[in-house]
Amino acid sequence: MHDLVNDLRAALGTDRARAEPLELALYARDAGVARGRAAAVCWPSSTDDVAAAVRIARRHGRPFVARGSGTGLAGGATPVGDPVVIVTTHMNRVLEVDTANRVAWVEPGVLNLDLTRSVHHLGLHYAPDPSSQQACTVGGNVATNAGGPHCLASGVTSTHVLALDVVLADGSLARLGGLEPDQPGYDLRGCFVGSEGTMGIATRIAVRLSPDPPAVRTLLLGFDSVDDAAATVSGIIAAGIVPAALEMMDALITRAVEDFVGAGFPRDAAAVLLVELDGLPDGVDAQIGAVRAVASERSARTVRVAADEAERALLWKGRKSAFGAIARIAPDYYLHDAVVPRTRLVDVLEQVYAIAGEHRLTVMNVFHAGDGNLHPLIVFDAREPGIWDRVHAAGDEILRACVEAGGVLSGEHGIGLEKREAMPWIFSADDLDAQARLRDAFDPTGAANPQKVLPAGSRCGEATRVPEGAWI
Amino acid sequence: MTTPAPTDGRVALLHVDDDDLAACVACGLCLPHCPTYRVTGLEAASPRGRITAMRAVQWDGAALDATFAQYMEECVQCRGCEAACPSSVPFGRLMEGARATLQEQPPVKRSPLRGVAEWFGFRVLLPRHWLLLAFTWLLLVAQRLRIVPKGVALPRLSARSLVRPLRPAPAAGEVDAYLFTGCVMDAWQRDVHRAALEVMEAGGAAVGLAGRGGDCCGALHVHAGRIDEARRLATRVVASMPGDAPVVVDSAGCGAAMKDYGHLIDTPEARAFAARVRDFAEWARERHLPLELTGRRVVVQDPCHLRHVQRAASFTHEVLARAYDVTGTDDDGLCCGAGGVYAVVQPELAGAIRARKVEALQRAAGDTAPLVASANPGCLMHLRGAGVDVRHPAELLAAALKKERPPL
Ligand SMILES: Cc1cc2nc3c(=O)[nH]c(=O)nc-3n(C[C@H](O)[C@H](O)[C@H](O)COP(=O)(O)OP(=O)(O)OC[C@H]3O[C@@H](n4cnc5c(N)ncnc54)[C@H](O)[C@@H]3O)c2cc1C
Ligand code: SF4
Ligand code: SF4
Repeated sequence: MHDLVNDLRAALGTDRARAEPLELALYARDAGVARGRAAAVCWPSSTDDVAAAVRIARRHGRPFVARGSGTGLAGGATPVGDPVVIVTTHMNRVLEVDTANRVAWVEPGVLNLDLTRSVHHLGLHYAPDPSSQQACTVGGNVATNAGGPHCLASGVTSTHVLALDVVLADGSLARLGGLEPDQPGYDLRGCFVGSEGTMGIATRIAVRLSPDPPAVRTLLLGFDSVDDAAATVSGIIAAGIVPAALEMMDALITRAVEDFVGAGFPRDAAAVLLVELDGLPDGVDAQIGAVRAVASERSARTVRVAADEAERALLWKGRKSAFGAIARIAPDYYLHDAVVPRTRLVDVLEQVYAIAGEHRLTVMNVFHAGDGNLHPLIVFDAREPGIWDRVHAAGDEILRACVEAGGVLSGEHGIGLEKREAMPWIFSADDLDAQARLRDAFDPTGAANPQKVLPAGSRCGEATRVPEGAWI
Repeated sequence: MTTPAPTDGRVALLHVDDDDLAACVACGLCLPHCPTYRVTGLEAASPRGRITAMRAVQWDGAALDATFAQYMEECVQCRGCEAACPSSVPFGRLMEGARATLQEQPPVKRSPLRGVAEWFGFRVLLPRHWLLLAFTWLLLVAQRLRIVPKGVALPRLSARSLVRPLRPAPAAGEVDAYLFTGCVMDAWQRDVHRAALEVMEAGGAAVGLAGRGGDCCGALHVHAGRIDEARRLATRVVASMPGDAPVVVDSAGCGAAMKDYGHLIDTPEARAFAARVRDFAEWARERHLPLELTGRRVVVQDPCHLRHVQRAASFTHEVLARAYDVTGTDDDGLCCGAGGVYAVVQPELAGAIRARKVEALQRAAGDTAPLVASANPGCLMHLRGAGVDVRHPAELLAAALKKERPPL
């Protein structure tokens, strides 16, 4: 073990690798619930450092796990199999901004919101805006193919990533994709995006920057029933409007959020919708009128248009704090991430509440309503004896209900360690085998973030189990 | 989650509330708002990491050792994380509890010199204002003889200021407001109090000063985990300003501590007193002040104890805007690294954090050298140490008072 740390220190610098027990405890998990144990943690500052760290890990017979800010919700950055954790927080420079072509090269540890702020004065922004955007890294976003409220109109991370420099599992370097629109050959960039660190570590990322829209307005709609809110979502889309974002929160979560931000969310509504419209000023005004009409048809009780940028920012701060704010109700949460057909939403939500009730658990729902991405959150206190069994049982039933309604597990938060056992519900053995072989093509040794994404036994004829020291 | 018993036989329970500790969901949304995380990129120097370390000690039997102490001592206690936390984790309380435990059971033997210095500072000097003033004269002489070590961020002391006591105009009856002058600030930055007094009187208030015992608010003691000493000082401060008049405080750090007396001493008197405490700008905004527009641009630095703790930073912007072209920084109020005695005990981190802040101030100022307003004496000195032109808002307002107003 000490040899490992010494080798890392020799390559990266004396203060760039550690293995004290307390230090390792801080890297045992991400924002999900699964815990593991690392053999060592290191903080490289360049592509060469990352390659060196990977080679040293391999020489010592250890796997490695990339980590950005550790805001992942599926245990993607949880160390399994005594790996070396490679943290990208020191690689946090915006390297190059090409305003004319609207492309920026960034290091993986740049925070999503910092990137947007650094190009704000150019009238540009980085479009994917996960709710964690103030804290998560672009590298983590690439690895999880992160989405966000504004990805409804603009597409998720993959749409905005042009090229990647990556360190592969043997420590070699490769460039995937390129800045020219039509890349010859297979889209390996596309394979890497969303691979959750199982195909290597991205060390330089070329992202597409988007021009700021000339006008943006946000509406807050409050409803007395979830049905009305859901019908309004369908109504808006049926009216031919493509909002920049379309988000729904249920009663409990609305209250928790309002207690945090005090933005004027109706504390007694059964559901609220946030609708953002952007484009040219006239067009936006016309769309506001259309949304109002749809909402009042579905008996919305409050329709508020944010008066200025400060009010708009506060509403979004509320929505984006939702996962954190629930701790006002209970200290732990278990989050699911599924996409359901919009037409089945009301039906699925009823089942979600019923399942939680049966297990004597509280559940709350946030929903990227525009694209049907549902996030049921079970909230609980992990210190209560026996609670985990109930949480897991309810979680599984909820996911099954989503899948049976024609939904899929979403990749938005990643599959990581926590959701991988659910992969066989939606993929056949052949599908999983094909995915395992794709992963093997990038990393035949299985050293890059082992045991993530694909469930144990995905490769035909293979059976592994979650090792000691990791629990889900 | 299993909770193995402490392995080293030591009962090392922290003075923190288990529910407070459990409240963190590890979402990481606080990370970018933490100055030490921003400059180190280390989980150990982040709010989430510090909480995880506390949990390891409290619940999982990790040792209360030097590593743990280091993680705790690197925290500036700016509470930027607390304001950013959607789960409302009371981080300040947790950190004060952890520090109090470390104060009682120091895992590393402190150097005797540091022990003596702390005893002298916290127990002897701060509670006795006459002694602090005498000590300041010594420092002043040392400063003139150039024998103060370079690393010590001492402001340029002024003999002229030290010989002139603050003299409010005598009040006919009850005073309209007290001006709290405190310990170090009165000794080292009395001219700020003078400016505050001038502005308050220009606003038509009969101003009183604290009576006997109102020397030191105890804020530095609370941060160092010296809770009993802080309580004693706070009790004296409460008694030194009787009546119902608002207590105006021109030091954001002191004001934050005094607004929290209700928790610290938990008596009806303390709670009533805490409710009377106002930051200088918070008080001034409700007053008509005879100001004239200066046309000068001022970049306002929000002291953490004003923005994150008192949540009253906007008042400084509001009041200054009556006389100046006011702008803020684009860093979500990230700490400047001063943090009470932090800049002295953690000079490297404090310097790195300050460098970030100076960049943000420069961005806000545009092409010119920034003129900065800071409502906290600690931030003021720390930023001046980097060569920035920093004034207290009271000084800026005093400079903008109309000249032809009737003499006081
Ligand atoms: C409050 C909250 C709200 C959230 N909201 C959203 C949301 O709206 N949409 C959404 O999609 N997600 C959301 N998330 C989940 C999370 O923020 C995203 O998954 C984010 O992309 C993770 O980034 P990170 O830097 O924290 O990565 P980490 O958590 O550190 O890592 C995530 C995964 O990426 C891998 N990885 C990290 N860096 C690299 C790299 N350079 N190369 C290769 N692999 C790498 C890790 O191994 C791991 O598998 C939310 C999380 C929280 C706590
Ligand atoms: S302190 Fe608050 S913001 Fe930070 S990780 Fe914990 S819950 Fe999240
Ligand atoms: S108080 Fe300040 S320095 Fe300490 S953890 Fe919170 S944000 Fe970081």
